[in-house]
Amino acid sequence: MTTAKPHATGAVAPGDIERKVGVEMLRQRGINVEELIEKLIDNAAAEFASTYYYYSILRMYLAGHEDYKEICEDARLEDRQHYELILPRIYELGGSLPYSLHEFADRAGCPAAYLPGTDNGQHPPAEPPPAAEILTVLLEAERCAIRSWQEICDITTGKDPRTYDLAARILNEEIEHEAWFVELLAMERDGKVKPSGHFRRGAPGEAPYSRNRAFHHGGAGN
Amino acid sequence: MRETEGGPYRVTFEFPDGEVRTVPAAGGEYVLAAGRRGGLELPSRCEVGWDMACAVRVLAGELDHSDARRYYDADRKAGFALICRARPLSDLRLRTHQARAMRDFRLAHHLPAPRGV
Repeated sequence: MTTAKPHATGAVAPGDIERKVGVEMLRQRGINVEELIEKLIDNAAAEFASTYYYYSILRMYLAGHEDYKEICEDARLEDRQHYELILPRIYELGGSLPYSLHEFADRAGCPAAYLPGTDNGQHPPAEPPPAAEILTVLLEAERCAIRSWQEICDITTGKDPRTYDLAARILNEEIEHEAWFVELLAMERDGKVKPSGHFRRGAPGEAPYSRNRAFHHGGAGN
Repeated sequence: MRETEGGPYRVTFEFPDGEVRTVPAAGGEYVLAAGRRGGLELPSRCEVGWDMACAVRVLAGELDHSDARRYYDADRKAGFALICRARPLSDLRLRTHQARAMRDFRLAHHLPAPRGV
């Protein structure tokens, strides 16, 4: 009598360096690994190029709204953490970042979070943009990120626990970011109370779900 | 929804499984919103006219893409539309689930596109 052991099956020969068991297992379970890699690169580009970079600029234009600025800083650093978290998985699966930063930015799955009043980054704003407009950009950027990481969770659930775990950790924080910006925009724009239910991070960009390893001194993860 | 002249329009969606559904859309309404209001399940992700998850093929009719974040004249000439940020300018007939076709078109023409759509 034999007992099915799907985890013990496969076609990777001892010493084979062209294939990985950790990838073949995913194929056996119905994951289109090449498609998954492409989605992960699109999402990594969105975290790094569409949000981390442009949130830096948005944050600079929140002077006078110090509470907003601190929360924007948390989201900025945590989006960078998301990039750091998913990057190794792209290579584990056999993928690679594009060799051109321009190409990387162009394939981002979410649009660049341009500072309002700049005609999509073409020039400095004539006047400081209203905080409500900046919060709106931040909110919609987070919503796109939620949809993107939810898609990765949907694809990998029950089949690719490692990618699922990484995507779920990122998704947790994107959902929190959305709640923050809903709360702030509701009051700033509409005078309404829409609590996020959260308190501020213990340290800037603490990344309570997605922190992998520290990437800067004196900050999160140390 | 923006107040614009014209409409309401009839928007007909052809789905990959052969189902055909028609919903009304106001002139200033995004086509995706009209479809959802009509009870249709339509794909989308960025919802600002960027990532092509909502791409359709335009079989008949005209759309206004002035609110889309990344939409090229070449896309229009090839018959693609991003319905999350496109408003009807006439009655429409659209074939849904064209993200990969639009991605392949963009890449073949050296235009920016996410690869994982």
